[in-house]
Amino acid sequence: MRMGGGSGRSGSRDGKGRDGKGGPRKKFFVRRRKVCKFCAEKLEYIDWKDVKLLQGFIPERGKILPRRISGTCALHQRKLQTAIKRARSIALLPYATD
Amino acid sequence: MRLYDIVVLVTPDLSDEEATKVAGEYKKILTDGGATVLKDEPWGKRRLAFPILRKKEAHYVYWQVDAPPAAVAEAERRMGLSDQVLRHLAVRVDEELKRQAKMTERLKKKAAKRPPRPPAPPAEAAAAVESAPVERSES
Repeated sequence: MRMGGGSGRSGSRDGKGRDGKGGPRKKFFVRRRKVCKFCAEKLEYIDWKDVKLLQGFIPERGKILPRRISGTCALHQRKLQTAIKRARSIALLPYATD
Repeated sequence: MRLYDIVVLVTPDLSDEEATKVAGEYKKILTDGGATVLKDEPWGKRRLAFPILRKKEAHYVYWQVDAPPAAVAEAERRMGLSDQVLRHLAVRVDEELKRQAKMTERLKKKAAKRPPRPPAPPAEAAAAVESAPVERSES
């Protein structure tokens, strides 16, 4: 994700950084690899009537969970988005809550 | 003819029977227009995620119909005019469902094709258990 910025920075300090104190740079968080839930389950069609499924992508505030957090792939995020919006239109899901 | 998912929200002021009756009128419009109802599921009284016209719940009625577009359009138009229908939504689903069916079919095919290799572990393991003594005796 942030490879570009990271590598650029390390590139400028490369000579010193690698040999001497590689310490701080090695403090990468080991992030769990996010996998698109729908790809994993081979769900092509996201049913807008399936409130339980959709609710997993609705945080407390009622917004749609962004891709960067849920790890959903672009294709499925788009489908999920329309599904959520449809569900909202018939009051299965909230537009906003507080 | 196209497949549609239709959901109608009927006012909670009506009783269950009255609500189904009101919804039935629209179902009749659809069937008169040449539709066949494939699924007819009243979801009953549900809480709304947000109030609509100060109402906090509504009778949800769901149909899946195979209908000509004109019939659905007409039913939707009438629903929009009605005071007893809070909300309605009709979505064409045949293409999406077809795609999903294709996917599952492809998966099945893949699964059917696979046995030679990936599912080998369980198959082999099972086979090994069965055939192990024979093989050993052969060797």
